[in-house]
Amino acid sequence: MRNLIAFLRRFQIFLVFASLQIISLVIYVQFLSFPRSQYLTTASNVTAKVLTWENDVTKHFDLSKNNYALQRENIRLRERLPEFMYTLSAEKVKVEDTIYKQQYTYIPGMVINSSVTRRNNYFTLNIGSKQGVKPNMGVFSDKGVVGIVHNTSEHYCVVKSVLTKDINIDVIIEPIHLAGILKWDGHDPRRGSIDGISNDLRIKKWSRVITRGGSGIFPKGIPVGKVERIESIEGEPLWNVVVRYSEDYRTLQRVYVVKNLMIEEQQALEGQIPPDEEEDVLR
Amino acid sequence: MNNLTKNIIRFIVFVVLQTLIFNQLEIGYGFHLMIHPLFIMLLPFELGVISLMGLAFLMGIIIDIFSNTYGLHASSLVMMAYFRPIVFKFYGPREGYDPLKEPNVFDMGNRWFTYVFGILLLIHHLWYFLVEIFQFNQFFFILQKTLFSAVPTFLICLLLQSFLIKKSKTK
Repeated sequence: MRNLIAFLRRFQIFLVFASLQIISLVIYVQFLSFPRSQYLTTASNVTAKVLTWENDVTKHFDLSKNNYALQRENIRLRERLPEFMYTLSAEKVKVEDTIYKQQYTYIPGMVINSSVTRRNNYFTLNIGSKQGVKPNMGVFSDKGVVGIVHNTSEHYCVVKSVLTKDINIDVIIEPIHLAGILKWDGHDPRRGSIDGISNDLRIKKWSRVITRGGSGIFPKGIPVGKVERIESIEGEPLWNVVVRYSEDYRTLQRVYVVKNLMIEEQQALEGQIPPDEEEDVLR
Repeated sequence: MNNLTKNIIRFIVFVVLQTLIFNQLEIGYGFHLMIHPLFIMLLPFELGVISLMGLAFLMGIIIDIFSNTYGLHASSLVMMAYFRPIVFKFYGPREGYDPLKEPNVFDMGNRWFTYVFGILLLIHHLWYFLVEIFQFNQFFFILQKTLFSAVPTFLICLLLQSFLIKKSKTK
């Protein structure tokens, strides 16, 4: 016993150092994959309040640009309204639509804190569980996909953006519907890459990349970006497809959170897959 | 103003500066300004290494909460605090440090400060980017980020000292 105490006293400094290191690294690794609580993230009330004050000052810097983007989106949507179209046939027909049923609704939100230069970048939004935001909902803006909700508190949520290590959103390259997985290598916030496209397929430069909508997190067809370069990977029969994002994440302000009204049905079905095959189920 | 209140105020000032100003400045190209190591550097000479590490952990966790890094800053600050007495001893004068002085650039001179703070800042940044990126085939990227962030951070820390610190009268 005395030896133990002597040992502890001798290596006291190193033991304190090692335990502090282990605590912080364990928190880091745990929260990276699945956050247990909101208290160590910017979704916690105190942090989000402070960041909201800060954002109240800095949000005006990109205001005119963002207003213009919203206006353009409005025009795009207004063009599709029947009131704005010229009617070719004189008699009007009322159609009771039973083919389409609403699957997705959207919750508008605003980015109050963001980063783009780290290895894993998160955005904090000013909407939370009170507005119906839950973890694993998709987030997009008018120009492109933004990320997936990581953690929520009552009034705020943290979004794991496409600029993180394990984002793995499934996307397709437009004209021929090639499916792949979106990744980010940590270098450039304007470019990502798509994994899992075999190199016997031909891809045209500047073809559009959109979400596949496979697991109900995103609806199909939300833009991601355009193919900028195609590189071969040494020793593997795969292309490394470099995508230029259509959204500039450095000035992102207004976003929408996707709420899938049928997600429970889909998850209940997919929950019946035996667990060893479950690894293949993508986001 | 005694030492304790001075350091408490400094703690708050550094946290606010880092989280609300330097975290939001995103220049790109691997520049990543982290000025909070300067707080650990400026703590008095006679402070024991365990309380140093405790303070470093506390400060790191607060900055982590504000920047969604979950313990990354805490880990690298504790690493720096652990190495602080070792580097200080290596570069210290033979008769030991004068307890009335403070380890800043005015009291200790340019040369001493550049060596000591430079080494500590490199340790801090290298550990930070090693853990953050955690891929050894990207080692040059880690080195590039470390250098690109440590050099501007060092210059800003030199500037900050002239705003935040009064020269001690003992010199």
